[in-house]
Amino acid sequence: MPDVPIISIIDDDDSMRCAMKSLVTSLGLRVHTFRSAEEFLQSPSVDDTSCLITDVQMPGLSGVELQNLLLARARHMPIILVTAFPEERMRNRAIEAGALGFLSKPFESQMLIKLIEKAIATGPKN
Amino acid sequence: MPARGATGALNEQQVLLATLPPSLTQKRFVLAVVLVLFAAFCATLPFVTVPVGYIREFIPAYATAMFVISSITSALLFVQFSVVHLRALLAISGGYLFSAVMTVPWALTFPDLFGETDMTSTTWGLLSRLWHLGFTLSFIGYALLKDDDATEQWPRRSVSFLVLLGAAGALVVLDNIAWLATTSPLMPSALPVSMLFERSQSYWNGALLLFTLVALVLLWSRRRSVLDLWLIVAMCGLLIELCLIALVGRRYVVGWYAGRAYFLVSSTLVLAILLSETALLYARLARSVVAQSREREARLMTMDILSASIAHEMNQPLASIVTSTDAASRWLGRPTPDVEEVKAALGQIRNSAYRARDLIGSIRAMVKRDGRNRARLDLNDLVREVLALLGRDLQRNRISVELELDESVAPVKGDRIQLQQVLVNLIANAMEAMMENKRPRILRIKSATHDPHGVMVSVADTGPGIDPAVANRIFNPLFTTKSSGMGLGLAICRSIIEGHDGRLWVSPAAEDGSVFQFVLPADIAP
Repeated sequence: MPDVPIISIIDDDDSMRCAMKSLVTSLGLRVHTFRSAEEFLQSPSVDDTSCLITDVQMPGLSGVELQNLLLARARHMPIILVTAFPEERMRNRAIEAGALGFLSKPFESQMLIKLIEKAIATGPKN
Repeated sequence: MPARGATGALNEQQVLLATLPPSLTQKRFVLAVVLVLFAAFCATLPFVTVPVGYIREFIPAYATAMFVISSITSALLFVQFSVVHLRALLAISGGYLFSAVMTVPWALTFPDLFGETDMTSTTWGLLSRLWHLGFTLSFIGYALLKDDDATEQWPRRSVSFLVLLGAAGALVVLDNIAWLATTSPLMPSALPVSMLFERSQSYWNGALLLFTLVALVLLWSRRRSVLDLWLIVAMCGLLIELCLIALVGRRYVVGWYAGRAYFLVSSTLVLAILLSETALLYARLARSVVAQSREREARLMTMDILSASIAHEMNQPLASIVTSTDAASRWLGRPTPDVEEVKAALGQIRNSAYRARDLIGSIRAMVKRDGRNRARLDLNDLVREVLALLGRDLQRNRISVELELDESVAPVKGDRIQLQQVLVNLIANAMEAMMENKRPRILRIKSATHDPHGVMVSVADTGPGIDPAVANRIFNPLFTTKSSGMGLGLAICRSIIEGHDGRLWVSPAAEDGSVFQFVLPADIAP
């Protein structure tokens, strides 16, 4: 079903990943989940993701590094970063680099939903 | 009997040549150089009047070398001045700048170089004397000003203004001299000042020798820093040159060449030392910075880092609970509620709640009353250990430590690591409190016997103190007045101390700042 947007979620924390998957699925969207940025990069989802939700602090590539890597590879998908360890500088850097949103855990689900809707409405830039 | 001790903090004064006290090796090296210079002088004495002949290249080469050496020395000294703001440094670097600029007209007016008239010959002699006079006077100025108080903080703008003023001053003096020199046909009779320049060679030599000796004596009697010692070497070089010139009284003999060579050698040495000592100091600083950061990495995890990681760990299950709850209510709110999804979400919520519970349990275990790691220990030793651990940070923040440890206090029974963390935190807080201090930054740590059977340790700072309105809340978890950190530090400190059957409290210091004190029960030997 190519018309149903795919949302990719990366978080090394199992419970958070499952919770976000459940929430986004309840919106009627297709969700692919990954434990790490590397796993996501190796998957086919890297080509058909309409919106990427990624944790910042993860083993291996961090969410911000992933964002830069995707930019460098000209994959301009909307990115929402979530973190349990918010830092103003990191937030500014991510937003400057074009992140759609930067949420601090625990965040209001409604904010995430709004950002996802915005991402789907604008669609991938490439 | 309380043992008093104070450790001074390393500051700019101790890492700059102008203020750095010389080591024994440096003193010996300087002495050796001076002795070699004088030995060379004595060795030259029998041959001073042996004619060498006119070497056309000598004066231009010498002037060029002096110009380069003096300019670089002047620049290095200006830099030192802009850091320590000692007027003496401005004087001496002005002197070197003057010396650098003087070499140009001095070389250009050398009679045999351009085959000019008697007029230029007079000019050259005049310039020669003025050069040496100005240079020597700047040394005297340095010696007289060097013990002035440098602590007054000049605003940045006025420093650069003074540096420019110094440079401009040297140029103006030079311009005047050049003007005097170029108008010299009028000089012999027109100006009273010219009378002075027309005095006999021996009169001038005598005056210059006298000034050089005065500079030497002043420098010697007030020598304190590495720079002072090397300026003495420069003056010795000049003294030898003047002596040789006075002795031979004519050009192109061994003494005439040797005198200049010795002065050049001593000036080169001063520059070489300035450069090499600066490089050495830089290397030493770089090493200490590397050591510092290594030490910090290895150091006890402070409560700020600990609390940040606790926050991170707590936020994960909390976020999962919030998101799962919202997901569950969305699944329930569908036209046909998806019970399986709701069940799964509820399972997630339960698991996350357990995870949070376990996390809290492990934090409690960390600070809980647990006899397993308790041992008899001396709080004074503990204080000294922690100070050694934080030594670099204290130095870097220019905090002086005043210890008043009562060596007769009884030992206590406690967990060494936990009590260390309490002290690290109290000291780190004190350091942070004094960060913005204009007042002296003094960390006072005392130990004393606290009646009836307790040992008291207090950590006092000279910071702004604690607002009485919040004083009773600072031990509450998550209360913080800092922009960073979670405010768990003092709360954990208090639970550790209370876990040891002790008390931790804060009171305002006698003058400024605050005093954190804790009392632990003495471990009375059975």
